[in-house]
Amino acid sequence: MALVDVSGLEFSYPGAAQPALEDVSLRLEPGEVVALLGPSGSGKSTLLRALAGLVPHFHGGRFAGTVLVAGMDTRRTRPAVLAGTTAAVFQDPEDQVVMALVRNEVAFGLENLGVPSAEIWPRADEALEAVGALHLAERRTSELSGGELQRVCLASALALRPRLLLLDEPTSQLDPEAAEHFLALVDELGATTVLSEQRTGRALGLADRVIFMEGGRILADAVRDDGLAWLAEHRAHYLPPQAEPSDTVSGGEAVCRLDGVRFAYRGGPDVLGGTSLEVRRGEVVALEGPNGSGKTTLAKIAAGLLEPDAGTAWREGRAGYLSQDPGRYLVRDRVLDEVALGVGGDRGRALGALEHVGLAWAADRHPRDLSSGERERLGLAAVAVAKPDLLVLDEPTRGIDPDRKAEIADWLVEYAAAGRGVLVATHDRSFPADRRVSLEREALLAA
Amino acid sequence: MRFGTARRAVRLAPVPAAALLAAAAVAALLMDQVLPLALLTAALLLLSLQANTRLRPYLFGTGTAALGVFLVWPFLQSTGIDVIWEGPIVPVLGQLDVTREEIALASVSALRLAAVGFAFSAYALLLDHDRLVASASFARHSALAVALATRLVPTLERDAAGLAEAVRGRGVKVAGVRGHARLLSPLVAGSLERAANLAEAMEARGFGSGAPTRAPSPDWAFADYAALAAGAALIAAAVLWL
Repeated sequence: MALVDVSGLEFSYPGAAQPALEDVSLRLEPGEVVALLGPSGSGKSTLLRALAGLVPHFHGGRFAGTVLVAGMDTRRTRPAVLAGTTAAVFQDPEDQVVMALVRNEVAFGLENLGVPSAEIWPRADEALEAVGALHLAERRTSELSGGELQRVCLASALALRPRLLLLDEPTSQLDPEAAEHFLALVDELGATTVLSEQRTGRALGLADRVIFMEGGRILADAVRDDGLAWLAEHRAHYLPPQAEPSDTVSGGEAVCRLDGVRFAYRGGPDVLGGTSLEVRRGEVVALEGPNGSGKTTLAKIAAGLLEPDAGTAWREGRAGYLSQDPGRYLVRDRVLDEVALGVGGDRGRALGALEHVGLAWAADRHPRDLSSGERERLGLAAVAVAKPDLLVLDEPTRGIDPDRKAEIADWLVEYAAAGRGVLVATHDRSFPADRRVSLEREALLAA
Repeated sequence: MRFGTARRAVRLAPVPAAALLAAAAVAALLMDQVLPLALLTAALLLLSLQANTRLRPYLFGTGTAALGVFLVWPFLQSTGIDVIWEGPIVPVLGQLDVTREEIALASVSALRLAAVGFAFSAYALLLDHDRLVASASFARHSALAVALATRLVPTLERDAAGLAEAVRGRGVKVAGVRGHARLLSPLVAGSLERAANLAEAMEARGFGSGAPTRAPSPDWAFADYAALAAGAALIAAAVLWL
């Protein structure tokens, strides 16, 4: 018997002109691992929420069709009751954390489900150990990095021992090794898993089956090999690209030079211990390294937002910096004004920048009405509109679908070709760049 | 909460730890003698310093407030005969003399404030609030609200810093009260968005699904009972002798 049976599902969010899901039907068998792919706004997250019962119970809206999970009709069963049978890890781990200490956070769901008291700590510790986070058990959740929080969120889900695991871009903040470890763990669980990922290589490597969504509909639903063939024919961008690493210094004159840079946050250990980096005009440089290697810190120093404790940081002209998760840091009530902020209110230039990132249609919308992927692009436009000589981007492809990622990559090449430098701190090894710099390797060279 | 060095730490359960800190704060308010008050304040400061992060605003706030009280207090009082500085006559305040007695009173008031501040720092930074509020077994929802409120401050701190950095990253300076005030509206909007996401995540994790259980707290050790006794003794000593 299928664990999940979705039949004729249609759903519209309250006040939405277009349905988020249309005529969605699928069955998931126990133990299946499904890669759920599709562009931003295609309905992937909504489908995951429907499987967790959060659509329609939490969001409201118009709902038609049936969703059965382990025989329970989600329209008649509250999400809190489905919890345990299902467990979800959503995109942003910071928005899911309830408790102040990690071990208590993992215990929270177990307590809610009425697990016998004597079993709670052992199960919490077992789940933390499974994700390699037992050493974090006594740490405060507010002090963890994004990657660490993502592991804790997965541990919280695993502790429930769900039959259906719903993962919405669960590795977006993890470095490639940590992401691979994370997904290998998911593979070992044996639970039915629906994995939505924009960095498709990992999901496709793990999946038994591929579902591709667009415009709220399922366009393809096939076993892995057939799914890969369909993608190759219809949506080639979703197949893992082969980035060509290069150490060749390209471009023109240097626009930024960091030499023997050391930095420690107040009271903490050295984050950077004598790192050197150069970005030249005309090149896109990808800055790579594992979680905690200091990519963000180095990017901020390059952009002039932090001053190094030792070493020299030199840059020519103006620098612009796009932080991680820029959609969270939007400050105006209108998309056009958000972009115009960086050019003294010049709306003409702002509109041009919005056109470049494909958001001119949203100029009069409130920034928080945009989807997460659209907000990321808005953040990019808001920084790039002033055409800084050095554009520094921190994880710009997080939550961006492969089509948009390719567009952004092309746009950055064009931006650099105009005689500017681009530095991209990223975990995404498929992100195209003229030169890739590993922070670990830089540190070793410096040592 | 841990007392002592890394090698010889004593870990207290949240309830006796909170009770001991509350007793220390109450005792500080009851004490009149400078030396024991200074010792108690120093002990609470040392305890607060065990926190690895987020300590600076607490130290700065407490230190600034205590210093302010120490500096202003003598000018608001008119007591004592042992004048050590004779100032001008100011309308409303009168003559700005500073006496040895006023300095002593100012020290006591400043130390009281510092002691209470450091006790709160230790409470905020070192205690397991989750388990502390969970001890209120009759009020699970209220306890959870307190736990979430406790997390609100660092989250807001981080978001405010992120907003300011995002604007600076576009080459726009954030300066002055007006510049920072403009970030308030997006900060509130972001908090509301976080709250909605958190509520969704809590429901997905079974919050409100039925009869919850509670992870067992470890039995109290000798140190926990000793902490309660020490707290009571501290208050008694403050009332009777200090």
